[in-house]
Amino acid sequence: MKIDCTIDGKTLTLSLNSDKPLSLILRENMGDDGAVNHCNGEMCGLCTVLVDGKAMLSCMVPAFEIRGKTVTTFDSFRRTRNMKDIEKAYESVGRYPCTECYASRSLIFESLIDEGITDPGEILKELSIVRCPCMDPEDEIMIVRRGIEIRRKRNVQRPQLA
Amino acid sequence: MYKGLSSPNIHTPKNLGEYASIVLHYPMSTLWGGGTFIMTRPDAYPSKTMNAEIIYLGEVEELHRFQRNDRFAEFGAMVTLDEILSTGKTVLPKALTDNIQTIGSRLITRKATIGGTIATKGFTTSFPGTLIVLDATAEVRYMKKKRLHSRWMQITRLLDRNGRISLPSNGLISRVRIAFSEKNCHYFNEIGSFMLDPENAVAAAFTATLDQDILINPRIAFTYPLHGVCYSRDIDSIFSSLRFPLDDEEVDTLESMIFTFIESSFPDITPLQRTRTSGIMRQIIDDLNEKALTVPAEER
Repeated sequence: MKIDCTIDGKTLTLSLNSDKPLSLILRENMGDDGAVNHCNGEMCGLCTVLVDGKAMLSCMVPAFEIRGKTVTTFDSFRRTRNMKDIEKAYESVGRYPCTECYASRSLIFESLIDEGITDPGEILKELSIVRCPCMDPEDEIMIVRRGIEIRRKRNVQRPQLA
Repeated sequence: MYKGLSSPNIHTPKNLGEYASIVLHYPMSTLWGGGTFIMTRPDAYPSKTMNAEIIYLGEVEELHRFQRNDRFAEFGAMVTLDEILSTGKTVLPKALTDNIQTIGSRLITRKATIGGTIATKGFTTSFPGTLIVLDATAEVRYMKKKRLHSRWMQITRLLDRNGRISLPSNGLISRVRIAFSEKNCHYFNEIGSFMLDPENAVAAAFTATLDQDILINPRIAFTYPLHGVCYSRDIDSIFSSLRFPLDDEEVDTLESMIFTFIESSFPDITPLQRTRTSGIMRQIIDDLNEKALTVPAEER
């Protein structure tokens, strides 16, 4: 099956098995070995990617569902200004995720910051998918709130042209 | 790595008419909603079936509709659990919102659909039990004489003898209607993970109106993921014959009566599931005892 999609800013036409999970596509077809885990549907949360800006578990997204969509992995996301906001939030709170879950947590933080979610219950619920115990819940809530503040300030300083 | 695999054919109908014509040509096809259950099976990929046909329902516009009035809310089968929670958190029955919230992260609820949670092949999620106690109805579309027919059915009527949801061949749930409940007791609890530890997980849903010290129209359903939903009007009538608060002896008698029924329906439940069922049941009784002993605010 031929699938047109955008992965990490590259517009691609991939010839794939139609039900192949996105996590395997990124691993086998894109050579993104380290960044995306393939847990075979164990819901470990480590295979998180952004699909059209929303965090999703790539092991749950079949190839036919990414037709015409934009997939962003941590590999390209880490070079964006949005990641710099999240890094600033980590720095100001004084807490960083461990190397194992750094990518997935950062992408989920981005999804939360982008939606502007400040409710502690919702933040913790969304992050509960990552089972790594390296961060305290209070720190996660503070990082999201701080990230939203930083993003707002940046958007005020540099208003986008219509 | 997976040399020689055959790629399943994906059909993406845009409306139910197209769905009907695809089902006529490929009666053995698999229906794909959100895919959260199918993709989490260990043997999901590579597919073992040759020439598999998948009908992806994500582009059927009718299945994404949501409407509500002052009596009920009606969801298309492809409405996601996250959309249900965000649109109806304040008006929907507490048992349903609690059930959605126990699933956890929005990474999953953003993909899981209401139709998919009811009609899962070979597995029972916690939703059919909750929808049964809420007296929900579903519109079932099925093929008869090469035409697509539709019929509204109570979720209870979709249960087969083994407690599993069974639809007519090539049947599809297109809409689910949930009445706004006026009952004052809503309870939902899930112990253990349905997806990760289905052998030991249990869920229970309960609704009733507690008026003074008796229950009016109580409904209780226990769900065991690998067995099915345990729901019986006999258990409901036992609950309606009780006067609250119950003492320890009455609770023990009630528990043994409920277990007699559960074990006659599902003799293979594990000891852990039994212990968890007992725990949930006692929590429900404790809640009801507490409510029965509390003087309502307007009477103080």
